[in-house]
Amino acid sequence: MRRHTRRIFNICYRFTGNRTEAEDLSQEVFLRVYRTLGSYRSAHGGFATWMTSVTRNLLIDHYRRTKRDRVTDSLDDAMPVVESKESTARRPDQQALLGELSGQVQSALTRLSPELREAVILRDLQQLEYGEIQQVLAVPEGTVKSRINRGRIELARILQQMGVRPS
Amino acid sequence: MNWTCEQTEARLSDYLDGVLDAAEWSAFNHHVNTCERCTPLVAAVAHTLGGLYALEEVEPPPQLETAILTATLGVRSKWDVWAWLRTLQSPRFVYSMASVAATIVVLLTASGFNWRKPKLAELAPATIYRNTNSWAHVTYAHGVKFVSDLRVVYEIQSRINEAEPNPASREEMIPPSSPKKKEPGQTDNTNPASPKQQNRAYEIGKRLEVLASELPVLTGSFVERRMR
Repeated sequence: MRRHTRRIFNICYRFTGNRTEAEDLSQEVFLRVYRTLGSYRSAHGGFATWMTSVTRNLLIDHYRRTKRDRVTDSLDDAMPVVESKESTARRPDQQALLGELSGQVQSALTRLSPELREAVILRDLQQLEYGEIQQVLAVPEGTVKSRINRGRIELARILQQMGVRPS
Repeated sequence: MNWTCEQTEARLSDYLDGVLDAAEWSAFNHHVNTCERCTPLVAAVAHTLGGLYALEEVEPPPQLETAILTATLGVRSKWDVWAWLRTLQSPRFVYSMASVAATIVVLLTASGFNWRKPKLAELAPATIYRNTNSWAHVTYAHGVKFVSDLRVVYEIQSRINEAEPNPASREEMIPPSSPKKKEPGQTDNTNPASPKQQNRAYEIGKRLEVLASELPVLTGSFVERRMR
């Protein structure tokens, strides 16, 4: 359960950019999974893929519900993001640069449209294969590839507008 | 092959993922190196990908798991007997209990336990062992009888009887010694016509040994016939 909790929380956090919302949404995902466990069929894909699909549907529903209330720069609350242990191996200056870039990338992610945002998160952050993403999003593989490509290009343009340039 | 900016942009992810073939890769590189618009675009997207891969997993709040368990399973009390009883309804537990019950029923039936008029004394381990042991011996004896009654066994026995010299003629070759006085209850070896009385179990065992030794011969001839 810990492995699933961590993964679902990360998807929710990267999609919403808000830690509190990610926590509430993660809880909601598990509650929905618990209630609809009877509807899971292994023929429709692995259990992890099914959970990701439930998460994605919940995120889209949440996005549509909160669209009007949302501020464009919906970013984190004051709580700092806890980095995982591997990051402590880097030099402090490298760590500072990466931290700054991470924050900028996260901010740019929340500005993407939800369709492109979910595709980029599933491919580049969750490292899912195209076939798995196709099952989660329930769209053809061509559409998955197209959304990932457009998402990356759009993300690069947003970062350029924010003043982030490749070194 | 000269690509347009639209083609280059459409295949940008494939280029960065390394799935273009040699011709496509060459065309892509040729266009990017000569296009003022696409060169910075490719560099920017590559830099963005690097930023995405550098994003590390965030730690969920420590209370999240507890909150999830409380929301799904509810608050569990140590003395919640009903919750404990509900766990016994899991399919795994039910299947295990069913197989254990079936094993007990089979063992008790084999031990001669009378289900219609059960007696507590019949459940004693020594009684169960004794009854099961005798039942196993009876089953073994029935199996041996069944095997010996088989047609193939009968045929083998017939062959053996044909091959073996007549026990009566063997006794004829032994010169009779001085006639013995026949005591009551003793057999008279001088009468060649009457067969020796032998133990039935000894006979069965002997014939099973012969069957085991004859079986390679039979299977060999069977294989020969098939190969022809």
